[in-house]
This record gives sequence, C-alpha cells and structure tokens, in this order.
Amino acid sequence: MIPLEFYLLLAAALFCIGIYGLVTSRNVIRVLMSIELLLNAVNINLMAFSNYLDPATATGQVFTVFVISIAAAEAAVGLAIVLAIYRNRDTVDMEEFNLLKW
Amino acid sequence: MITETSWLIPVYPLIGTLLTIPWSPAFIRRTGPRPAGYVNILMTFLSFTHSVWAFFALWGKSNDQFFFVPWLNVADFNLIIPLEVSAITIGACILITGLNLLAQIYAVGYLEMDWGWGRFFAFMAFFEAGMCALVLCNSLFFAYVLLEVLTLGTYLLVGFWYNQSLVVTGARDAFLTKRVGDLILLMGVLAIYPLAHTWDFRELAVWAQTAEVDPKVMALLGIALIAGPMSKCAQFPLHLWLDEAMEGPLPSTILRNAVVVATGAWILFKLSPVLVLSPLVLAVTAAIGSITAVGGALIAVAQIDLKRVLSYLSSTYMGLVFIAVGAQQPEAALLLVLTYALAMAVLVMGAGSIILGVITQDVTQMGGLWGRRPVTGFAFLVGAFGLVALPPLGGFWSMLKLVTGLWESQQLLLVAIALTVNWIVAFGLARTFGLIFAGPVNQMTIRSPEPIWLMVVPMMITVGFTLHFPLILSTLGLLPDWAMLNKDMGVALIWSSLLGFAVGAVLFVGRRVESPEKLVPAPLQNLLAFDFYTPRLYRSSVVLGVDLLSRLTDWLDRYLVDGFVNFVGLASVFSGEALKYNNSGRLQFYALTITFCVAVISIIMSWQYLPGIFTAVFATP
Repeated sequence: MIPLEFYLLLAAALFCIGIYGLVTSRNVIRVLMSIELLLNAVNINLMAFSNYLDPATATGQVFTVFVISIAAAEAAVGLAIVLAIYRNRDTVDMEEFNLLKW
Repeated sequence: MITETSWLIPVYPLIGTLLTIPWSPAFIRRTGPRPAGYVNILMTFLSFTHSVWAFFALWGKSNDQFFFVPWLNVADFNLIIPLEVSAITIGACILITGLNLLAQIYAVGYLEMDWGWGRFFAFMAFFEAGMCALVLCNSLFFAYVLLEVLTLGTYLLVGFWYNQSLVVTGARDAFLTKRVGDLILLMGVLAIYPLAHTWDFRELAVWAQTAEVDPKVMALLGIALIAGPMSKCAQFPLHLWLDEAMEGPLPSTILRNAVVVATGAWILFKLSPVLVLSPLVLAVTAAIGSITAVGGALIAVAQIDLKRVLSYLSSTYMGLVFIAVGAQQPEAALLLVLTYALAMAVLVMGAGSIILGVITQDVTQMGGLWGRRPVTGFAFLVGAFGLVALPPLGGFWSMLKLVTGLWESQQLLLVAIALTVNWIVAFGLARTFGLIFAGPVNQMTIRSPEPIWLMVVPMMITVGFTLHFPLILSTLGLLPDWAMLNKDMGVALIWSSLLGFAVGAVLFVGRRVESPEKLVPAPLQNLLAFDFYTPRLYRSSVVLGVDLLSRLTDWLDRYLVDGFVNFVGLASVFSGEALKYNNSGRLQFYALTITFCVAVISIIMSWQYLPGIFTAVFATP
C-alpha cells in the first residue's frame, strides 16, 4: 500500500507547480488555471488525509466536495472579471495590468 | 531712631529713579524733561541729609549697629541681608550722596542742551542707590549682587548717547570687562561659603583669624576674590573699559571716576582680613596695584585727551589702593579712597568746565586759558594738589600713611613705586595744566568764558571740601599723630611731588623746550599713548579665542548636531521613497510576496521540528 506521505508530497508538488504558474504566467486564463491546480492539490491532501486518518466518518471528502463546488463558482466569477477587463483593455496580459502601483 | 532708618538712604534715590520715568520724552511730550532732574536732586538731598544726621547721631559711639533683613529661606539655606550702620559706612554714604548731589547740580548746567534728562537722572540715581546699598550691606553675597547692579548702571550710563558708534563699543567693553571680573568674584563668593559658612564680612573676619585652609585653595580663592575689584577698579589688565567709558556724559564721569571705581576698592577693603590668609594673594594684589599705578601714570602722561588723562589717573590711584591692601594696610587704603574721591571729583568737574567751553577735548589744541578761566584754573590746581602728596591737602596724609606703613613693614620696593608714581602723577598733572592754561592761545580757546553758576558752584563747593578736608580729618581724629609720623618719608613725598610739578612746569607751563614730546623716542611715546596697545592685545588674545571658539561651536551645531537630526529625517524620507517601489501594482508580485512570507513564517515556526521530520522521512525505507 502506498504510504500517506507520497500523496502529501504529490499534493505539495502540485501546489508548488500551481504557485509557479500563478506568479509567472502572463495570460490571465493561465493564472486562473494555476489557481485550479492549487485547489486540486488541496483536494488531494484532503482526500488522502480522509482515507488514511479518518476512514470511518470521511469528513475530508465532504470538505473536498465543498472545495470543488466553490472553486467552480470562483472560476466562473474569475472568468467574468477577466472578460470585464478584456472589454476595456483589449488584452489579457498580466504585464499590462500594473496601473495600481505606488 | 535716625540710625535705625538708615536703610532708607539707598531708597530715596531709587524712588527718584522711578519718579523720572514720566518725564521721559515718550510720556510727557510737551513740557520738557527738566523736572526729572529737579526731583532727583531733591531725593539725593534727602538722602544726603539723612546720612549727615545719622552720622552725627552715630559719631562717638563705639558700638556699630547691625540690622538684619530676611531675604529668603529655602531648605536649610537662610539668606539675610545684614546692614552695618557705623561711622565708616554712613561716612561713605555722605561722600556718595554728597558727590552725587554736586554732580547732579553740575549736570543741570552741563546737560542744558540735552533732551535725555529722564534717562540720565534715573541712571545717576540708580547708581547712587546701588553704591549706598553697597557700603551699607555687610554681606559678601549682597555686595556681589550690588556690584552687578552697578555694572548694569555703568553699561546704561556709558551708553547714554547711543547714536554714537564709539559710545556703543565703549559701553559694550565696560559691561563685558566688569562682568568678567564679577563672574570670577562670584566663583570666589561661592567657594568661600563651604569654608567659612557665612558671607557676613564680620564673621568672615572672625573666621579668618583662626582658619586653617590649604594654602593652594586659599590662593585660588583669594585671587578669585580680588578679580572682581580688579575689573571694577580698572586695574591692569582689565583697565581698557575705563578709557572707553570716557565716551559717556561728563557729569556721570565725575561720579564714576570719584566713587564707582572705588566700590571695588571698598570690597577689597572689606575683604582684607580674608586676603591676609594667603601671602601669595597679597603679593599678587600688590603686584597688580604696582603695575597699574606705574603703567596708568605713564599712560596718563602720554594722553592728549583731557578726560582720558583723568581716567588713567583713576586707575593709578586705585592701583595705590591695591598696593595698600596688598601691604596689609586697609586703613591707608580707605583714607586714600576718601582723599582721592574729592580731588578727582574736582579735576573732572574742572575738565567738564573746560570741555563745555572749548568743545575740544584735545589738550594740545588748548592753551592760554589761565587769564580767562581763573576759577576753573584754580579748581584744577586744587584738584592736582589734593591728588598728589602735597601738604597740607588730603592726598599728602593718605600717601604719607601708606608710605610710612610700607616703610615700617620693610617693603622698600613698594615705597619706591609709591614715590615714583607720585612723581609721575605730579608731572602729568603739571603737563595737563600747562597745556590747558599756559602758553599761547589756540584757535579753539580764543573765546572761552567760564560756565554758568550751576557748574561753577558745585565745582567750588568740591574745591572747598578738598581744601578743608585736612581740617575735617583732624576734627574726626583720622589724621596721624604728628609725633608718630615718619618725617623722612614726608619729606621724600613732598620732594617727589615738587620735583614732578617742577619738571612739568618747566616743560609745559614755562614752555622752555620747543616740543617736549621729542625728548622721548617715538615708539615709546606711541606705546604709552596707545595704552600699551591694549585693544590690540584683547583682540588678539581673549576676543580672538572666544570668537574662534564660538564660530567653531556654531559650525558644529549647524553641521554636526543639526546634520545628524536632519539625517534621521532624510533617511526616513529616502527609505519611504525607496520602499514604495515594493508596491509594484502587479497582482502576481503580491501573490509571490504572500507565498514567500507564509513559507518563511512556516519555516520559522516549525524550525525545531525540522530535524525530526527529515530523520523520519529518510529513515523510512
């Protein structure tokens, strides 16, 4: 049986990849995609803990369900915001959105 | 009764000071300032009458009366003003108020064309009050307080005509020079308290009889104590202020030359029991006095300004007083001050009478006044004879007392100095007399009448007092017994005076030599005429040092202290300017910051578990 640590390390790696994508992508859509990676890494964590530490009540799985549903809503709102910006500025490049500085 | 209210003597002139205020040109604008003078003369007269009355009430009673006025009481420190009412102090009050009365009447004539009577008479009365309080108060501390009051008075009075630039610098120098001496005196006053636990002159004298103080401490203390009188009495090297104080109005000069410079001598006289504790201090006192006496007399001979001739003679005679105190003869010092004050008052009044008439103060531009100014000439002669040792006038008796005492204590050098000074002063006065009254009439002296009665009468009254002074002294029993006198010394003094007068008369009255100033080499003559270049000496030593130091501290304050504080401000402004670029406006940068910070905080919080985690991870197969 695969030990818990492996799942946790995988989730951490996925999270770090998500973070890397979050801070380096120039395209807003890819930023949102990176956020999805972060959330999925969290979900893997929750599922692993639920299976290995709390198989009886499986509270972690309930958490996961909530995270998935709220992540879907959040992605929808995020895409809406991206569209709103796109209508004004005709671009989705993150480098162009640095108007609110010092 | 009359002696118990003696504290009123300084109060009358102080009231007079306040009463002049309405007649300052700022308040009463229409009727002129003359009542200010009259009110003050009245107050001075009251003060004088009170003094004389108290003097006769006191005379013959051996026990002096002391009164104590509480001043303040803080913690365990009780400050009371002790007043001494004795024949000597009331006698000094008579001298001060009498001379002030005469000088004020003189000023009514002299300041005829002046608007500043309110100010002038207020300052004169202020002076009078300060001096009377000084002689009455019997405490070193309050003597110091009153000396400072007199310093302020000097500043105000010398700076009377403040629109003249030389007056302003003269007043500045008078204030600062006297202030330096006063401050060093203050050090002495403060240092003597832990030793003697009193400032009362009587108790100080009692303390001094049995005191055992470290000689070094006593020497320092004594030198601090004589520094105050040194500047007050215009002694070398603090003598320049008296020369420059001659820029003040002449009637005040009467008072200053006669009495104010003697206030320092009074303190010295009162302190003489304490100064005796250190032989070094006595030697220093005598040395300062000797240098000033000889130097001042020589400088006075080389002056061409009539008032400055007299100012250096003031320094000279105060130098003789210093010699007397240094040789432990306080009685001689007191007698010298008394006789000197009257004679010098006559001389300055005579000088004022001449200056008002001929405008110039330059004695080389005067001449031939004897025929037309007999009264002033007579006054000048009496003043000269009264100042140097010529019997039967007062100066002879005081100088005889001094020289006899010096001879008896085997201080032959000081005897020689006293005789020499007497000779030089006689010569200098004969020269001044000759230049003013003898010889051909000059441009400036062609038309020169005697002044109005307001100036002549006080002058003649002072002349009368000078002439009768030996009689007054013998009535009061102050003259030495004829049988006890050292007649050799008397003869030597008379010869030195006569010789001085004779040489001066031959050169300047008879004008036997074409130009006597050529008898002395020019560099020496300039050295004396310019007062040993004392202004240059001040400017290149003390003034230069203080100036450089103050420039340095100003620079340090401006650039170092201010710079440091400004640097703190600038650093925060600059760091704010620099750190704001963290606020880059990029969402991803913010996300990175958050992640980085969370990571760092997590590592810090779990620092102690990290080794365990690593071993656990790597131990698992």
